[in-house]
Amino acid sequence: MDKEKKTIQARLDSFHSRKLWQDKIMKKIFQGSAILAALMIFFISYFVISRGIQPFLSSYGDEQQSLIAFISGDRWRPDISPPVFGVGFIIINTLLTSLGAAVLSFPISVLTALFIAKIAPPKVRAVLTTIVELLAAIPSIVYGVFAAGTITGLVKDVGNIFGINTYGGNSMFAVIILLAIMIFPTITSLSVVAISAVDRSLELGSIALGASQMETNFKVVLTSAKSGIFAGLALGLGRAFGEATAVSMVAGNRMVGPTWNPFDITRTLTSTILSGMHETSPGLDYDMRFSVGIILLLVILATNFMIQVIKRKVGGVTHE
Amino acid sequence: MNKARRRKDIMRTSVTWISAALAVLVLTSIFVFVFKRGAGTFSWSMLKDDYWSKNYLVAFGDVPANDFALPDADNEDEFFSRKFGFGLADSVDKENNQLMVVTTISAMSPLHEGTITTAGPDQGKVMAIPLDARIRRIDYLDQDNNVKSTGLLGQDHSAEGAIGRLEQEATAIREIYFQSTGGGIRGSIIATLMLIGLTLLFSLPLGISAAIYLHEVAPRNKVTDWIRAAVEMLAGVPSIIFGLMGVSMLFRVTNLFGITTQSVLLGSFTMTIMLLPLIMRQTEEALIVVPSSLRMASLSLGASTTQTIFKVVLPNALPGILSATLLSMSRIIGESAALIFTMGTAISDSPKISQGATTLAVHIWTVMAGEQPNFELATAISLLILVLVLGLNITVKLLTYRINKKWQV
Repeated sequence: MDKEKKTIQARLDSFHSRKLWQDKIMKKIFQGSAILAALMIFFISYFVISRGIQPFLSSYGDEQQSLIAFISGDRWRPDISPPVFGVGFIIINTLLTSLGAAVLSFPISVLTALFIAKIAPPKVRAVLTTIVELLAAIPSIVYGVFAAGTITGLVKDVGNIFGINTYGGNSMFAVIILLAIMIFPTITSLSVVAISAVDRSLELGSIALGASQMETNFKVVLTSAKSGIFAGLALGLGRAFGEATAVSMVAGNRMVGPTWNPFDITRTLTSTILSGMHETSPGLDYDMRFSVGIILLLVILATNFMIQVIKRKVGGVTHE
Repeated sequence: MNKARRRKDIMRTSVTWISAALAVLVLTSIFVFVFKRGAGTFSWSMLKDDYWSKNYLVAFGDVPANDFALPDADNEDEFFSRKFGFGLADSVDKENNQLMVVTTISAMSPLHEGTITTAGPDQGKVMAIPLDARIRRIDYLDQDNNVKSTGLLGQDHSAEGAIGRLEQEATAIREIYFQSTGGGIRGSIIATLMLIGLTLLFSLPLGISAAIYLHEVAPRNKVTDWIRAAVEMLAGVPSIIFGLMGVSMLFRVTNLFGITTQSVLLGSFTMTIMLLPLIMRQTEEALIVVPSSLRMASLSLGASTTQTIFKVVLPNALPGILSATLLSMSRIIGESAALIFTMGTAISDSPKISQGATTLAVHIWTVMAGEQPNFELATAISLLILVLVLGLNITVKLLTYRINKKWQV
């Protein structure tokens, strides 16, 4: 009897210790996965930066580039000898197209968000929410084909009205319209969240003071949701800066710049990284794409930082 | 309310309506454009054909002439060979070259059973001449058993001439040299499926375990917050940067497997990292809605943490994990920028994991980037992508609705 009890006890113990061991190992595996996922952002930064700064170091040999000439350059000519890589005008053009898209898209997005959150009847709201979600899900290559098939034609026609000859419609204007469409769902969906989160008592207070529902929506709800709306703008701008394939299909890749004329072809950071990819073999031209990648990351970081500053200045009382 | 205020109110209401209408207009115009332009080219043969056209020389072993009935359908451009039971018509390709294409083949025609004699892996296999094949030469025997050719480029490369010669002189058919149509996307479909399979194989276990750690295991402290912040930052990185990271960092990993070029494997590694934030967020949301009473019950019955996670929590979070999977698939199908770097832009008809290939999205990029953009094919593939991606997203929406209903959120 005693013996039997002991063996049962021993088996239970071993069962428990096995379970404990299993727990420990599994916990380590879960933890390892999470840490690996978290480390990826550092790996990305390290590998892009370390390769991107190579061309500016003396160890690069004869083809070493000047950092100042790179930053301030007004031409991108990998096709001549010696090649010239100036990213200055590309930064300006990227900012122009992305900010242009934001200016075009922001008011429409915020008004649509207000419509979805406060004005639309429930059924219309459900349909519109789905539409915004579907627009966000459409891949950029499809937007690119759409832009190359319709927006460029539109720009060409408008150019003809003003007697301007466009390059088959490939232009800064086309890029701006394309990007405005692409960042619309991002800004809208974040704005909807922000507007829905505004405290109901603020609204009721405003109405109690004699304001109409629409006045309340515009003067109380929108101003209170500012901080969330600006977060949406930041995300939208980030998408505009980083958008590559669709933009490349209508930008036209100008070699000299910057472009100020909206009907002229342009060049963005991303279209530069992608341009001529299939005929490039490892070498200076390839490494310079990483340098442009660093600039792209810096531009996105700087924009996010600036939006944070603006957000702090304008304030807002969103409760999230 | 005075008049001025009322007028302002109406104006405000109408601008919001107009903005919302614009959104509807944009989505509709994208749909109309893609469906209208793409539907014409979209066909079953586009899905199953190779992209690159191939030349075949097919022998028929001198099948003697027979007497075939004319086809029922009357086609004015077609010239029909009653001796061998097939019809040809003249046509032009995109570069305006003269073509002679097969338009009908009778049921008993000898053209259904030829033997490939072109050197290569297919040599000796039985092959039927496909419809739409571009005939470049027909060899036949005349009354004196001399081998003669017709339909040659630059001589009598017209349907009327070739069929006329056959009908007059031929007693038996010997060989046909033809070019398959090409322009299909079978290779890219296979490459896309391979990429989806591989990526999910790597990213789901990694993403799900990371999400389990953050939600079920991790202590609530600074380090956990940092991990969350780092993953959030990953979500904000543009896809083209992932492409650069793929060729500089993950390329070394695929090198360990002896792969020295861009490859499907490299593409799947890159997509794995790109999808981590998405999978982690979706899985965590699924874990959050599982009621903690279930965990408590399991633990109080003596189950270990591991047992609780695998046997109670995960099965209940399964619909959420399924949505994560479907959303990941839709992202992989739509991704282009990162894959241009990591998988290359060369279209492959028989993709391999260790070699470069194009997914459907990159296939569009390749046909649009050339000297003469192939707009028809690009919109047809866009149509396929659009249907797949939107279908997946709508499924996820329905799934989420059902989960929320289940837990009464």
